[in-house]
Amino acid sequence: MSKKRYAIVLDTKKCLNCKACTVACKFENGVPVGDETYRIWVTALPLQGEYPNLHQEYQPSQCQHCENTPCASVCPTHATYKTEEGVVLVDYDKCILCKACMTACPYDARFVSEHHKAVEKCTMCYHRLGEGREPACVETCPTKVRVFGDLNDPNSKVSKLLASRGFYQLKPDRNTRPRLFYLK
Amino acid sequence: MAAHVEKKSLFTLNKDIPAYPFIILGLILLAIGGIAVLQVLLKGHEAVYGVTREVPWGLLIATYAYFVITSTGLAFIGGLGHAFGYEKYAKMSRRIVVMAFVILLAGFTQIGMEIGHPIRLMIYLILSPNLRAPIVWMGVFYSIELVILAIELYMVFNPDKVSHSASAVVGFFALLVGTVATSNLGYVFGSLNARPFYHGIYFSTFLVISGITAGAAMLMLIHNIVYKGRIPSDLEDSMTALGKLMGLGIGLMIFLYFWKIMSSLYTEPKGAYEAVLAMLKGPLSVNFWIGEVGLAVVLPLLIIVFTKARNMKALGFAGFIYMIGLFFTRFDFIVAGQLPPMRAGYEGSGVHTTISGLAHYSPSAGEWMIFALGWGVFLFLYFAAEKYLNLETEHH
Ligand code: SF4
Ligand code: SF4
Ligand code: SF4
Repeated sequence: MSKKRYAIVLDTKKCLNCKACTVACKFENGVPVGDETYRIWVTALPLQGEYPNLHQEYQPSQCQHCENTPCASVCPTHATYKTEEGVVLVDYDKCILCKACMTACPYDARFVSEHHKAVEKCTMCYHRLGEGREPACVETCPTKVRVFGDLNDPNSKVSKLLASRGFYQLKPDRNTRPRLFYLK
Repeated sequence: MAAHVEKKSLFTLNKDIPAYPFIILGLILLAIGGIAVLQVLLKGHEAVYGVTREVPWGLLIATYAYFVITSTGLAFIGGLGHAFGYEKYAKMSRRIVVMAFVILLAGFTQIGMEIGHPIRLMIYLILSPNLRAPIVWMGVFYSIELVILAIELYMVFNPDKVSHSASAVVGFFALLVGTVATSNLGYVFGSLNARPFYHGIYFSTFLVISGITAGAAMLMLIHNIVYKGRIPSDLEDSMTALGKLMGLGIGLMIFLYFWKIMSSLYTEPKGAYEAVLAMLKGPLSVNFWIGEVGLAVVLPLLIIVFTKARNMKALGFAGFIYMIGLFFTRFDFIVAGQLPPMRAGYEGSGVHTTISGLAHYSPSAGEWMIFALGWGVFLFLYFAAEKYLNLETEHH
């Protein structure tokens, strides 16, 4: 029995900027409304090309569930930890709100949650995974930008996509080895 | 072995020391801080503080660093006196130890109000400490420092019960742990993957050196206040020695500043470059040129050089402006490193940036009130000690 290694593969060319994923995330996880309180986001990248041949890409993103995890390294109480499937989680009861993890994360993926009185971020909807369900953002995306699965299973959709298409990751210079892959 | 000719008792009422204005000021600041503490307890940190998702560490972390590093600088100077026989500093040891202890407490108020769950911190630092996390070691070292300073307090007030060698050993550990604690504080920042401005050995070194300089500055300032500018002749040599120590410290600061800035400009490392530009010509430039360079480097150094560190009042003034300038140094250090945002502030990114593409931070009223709390603790406790304790070090 091989251990699972979860990842999300994103085909951003398909993204409509409909923001259904961000709404689904808020709804699923009870993320408070607010300017700074969001787990996932969809950035409109700058326009490219010359008029009239302009095009724009959108870049949905979130916690990268880094394999080398700068947020967990600096967390003094082990409140931030990695599950054996590689999902990075926060134990709200252990978080002392020192915010070291926020200053250490190169993706600005974390925020202070008034509700939990702790630092919060994307969990890959960890509560769903045990039931074999996908993260809410993946489930809801109308154009299937987001694909979720197990990297250790060569037959999973994520493994196949990564084997068949070129991909890149965000900020490779930070050496965090993200579990989010962007298809080229 | 300590022999005394006439031993004054520990408790006295020092009529000559102008402590009451400072005690009253301290009480006012404590009251202001107390209001902010209540607000934080009632409304929560997020409602009262101005820190953001992009700049999570702000004024309170800067003030914490300002206080605790000054404390370790004082402990270092005290250690030079006790452990290495620098008699000129040993003559001031009571003031040094009391001040170091009180300033450390002032620093703890800042971190206590900054951290969301300080009690939980103490529990989980014992139950599940992450030994890889520099913050754990920060807690350990500063706690040890507090205990050592408490022991030193006992020793300096009971010199006849303590042997020279015992106070030398304790003084040495105060110096050692203080240096380790402060350099580790540099590592707390250096260990943040996302913030290249803090990386490397620079801040660990710079914080220690500027902290020792701050210790000297505080001693020169406080002695001038306590003696109303008329330093007793037997302390003049000590003051001159402090002035020279401070001059040396500022010289080293210039050296470190210069190369840090040059190396950040030269190769334009992402993150560090933008942070340095924010100080040189960006939102922090007034702080940097007037506060850090003018008040913490140029003016005090000129005063020390031109008076050859022999004019006592000038030394007190140099100490005063250095301590003001150093506050900007600490603030800029904390803020500059966080201004380059982790993601560009494009539409939908959720990131708030200014036109220059940097994140923005300015402290809230609540944060300034907690800042006042720290000063209140220091002024009230320290000047109460001046008023009611005998802080003249008896000659051994
Ligand atoms: S993206 Fe940030 S929060 Fe997520 S695992 Fe990496 S460092 Fe931690
Ligand atoms: S804020 Fe919480 S999760 Fe983040 S480093 Fe501190 S204790 Fe860990
Ligand atoms: S739901 Fe899918 S298409 Fe819509 S914004 Fe999110 S990633 Fe893009």
